[in-house]
Amino acid sequence: MKSVASTVVDDDDPQAYEDQHVHAVYDHIAPHFSSTRYKPWPIIAAFLNSLPTGWIGLDSGTGNGKYLPFPTERPGSVLTIGMDRSWNLLQIAKHAGSRPGLSTTREVVRGDVLANGWRDGVFDYAISIATIHHLASHQRRKLAVQRLLQCVSPAHGRVLIYVWAVEQDDLSKRSVPISEGDGSSGQDVFVPWVMSQQTTMRNKTHQPVAETASTQDDARPADVSVYNRYYHMFAKGELTKLVKEAAERMGLIVGPLTANVTNKLGCDVIRDGWERSNYYIELRRWTS
Amino acid sequence: MVRLITHNLLACHVKGCTSNNFPLALKDIQIELREAEFNPEFITNILPRLEWHALADAARQVGDTSLPPEQPEMMDDDLLRNLHHVLLEIHIVEGAMTCPNCKHIYPILNGIPNMLLAEHEIG
Repeated sequence: MKSVASTVVDDDDPQAYEDQHVHAVYDHIAPHFSSTRYKPWPIIAAFLNSLPTGWIGLDSGTGNGKYLPFPTERPGSVLTIGMDRSWNLLQIAKHAGSRPGLSTTREVVRGDVLANGWRDGVFDYAISIATIHHLASHQRRKLAVQRLLQCVSPAHGRVLIYVWAVEQDDLSKRSVPISEGDGSSGQDVFVPWVMSQQTTMRNKTHQPVAETASTQDDARPADVSVYNRYYHMFAKGELTKLVKEAAERMGLIVGPLTANVTNKLGCDVIRDGWERSNYYIELRRWTS
Repeated sequence: MVRLITHNLLACHVKGCTSNNFPLALKDIQIELREAEFNPEFITNILPRLEWHALADAARQVGDTSLPPEQPEMMDDDLLRNLHHVLLEIHIVEGAMTCPNCKHIYPILNGIPNMLLAEHEIG
């Protein structure tokens, strides 16, 4: 069982904190990480399968590009562009969905989920799966949601966000420390990524933050490296509250488009909930 | 990889650079051509999302002159096939994109454009 440890974010420089505890780690563990990330989550697959032909979207924090080949039943009917900070993950995402005898190339861009870099409202949809929980302050997580709402069409843009939940599935491989405080603001934790030395040796990139196993856990064999990734685990209701704050910051009405509203911009919550240790929310923008 | 369909969506995002920041000019570009399956419905439906002048200019910059400078009112099969080629079969492998306004250079390396900015450049 993987254990998860509480951590405290350095408030002075969350960017530097993320550089050390998120970006450097993913660049280092990229091939090993990717080999474990192949199962799509059902709600995300259903979302991508429902998109009309000719829609263009952004996968913000694409990782290994697992969702870029969707919809698998109608390949090439939509175009999802994958964005990530990790150069090594992008090298993998670039060929997501390839198999022996079928080489496929995907559109991928190196970028930051807090930056912009796109024409405003140019996408029909945006997804951000297991990404926003790596941002080390509430303000930064809110800005990431604003960027998603900003990059999709004000008339019809659809957004799907997934983040890790404090409430973990019984089947999850992780054990989580008991939450302190009132539990409404989530928990900052380190999640260890364990790689054997053999895996590490094959990886020629600079080693960022690995600690030798002997200082971490005497029970582990000595040829194991542990990389701690920072996560903000979301409390129940926290994601939906965050999205509402982000939408209101942009001057959007949160809720369905009603007949008596004119000349307004809004964003409706289509569904939100919990699936397999994650909270999710699906949004649709509207213009009256 | 970066193709002209993606180039048509990207804009400069340096702090304060909010006008004349699109399209990014292509410089020292190396391309590869790879065949892709033709889906006329996809091409027809994405057209309203694209900036035609930027697309036709970018195509000329990489040596393809098949698109007319102005968007025709009627799309025929030949034009859809030309669009398909320009949007989906030309891959930019190396080069750079320069902002027409602030001249910021976004490099393209190994088929991946780097849109990351330093913290102080982010608006």
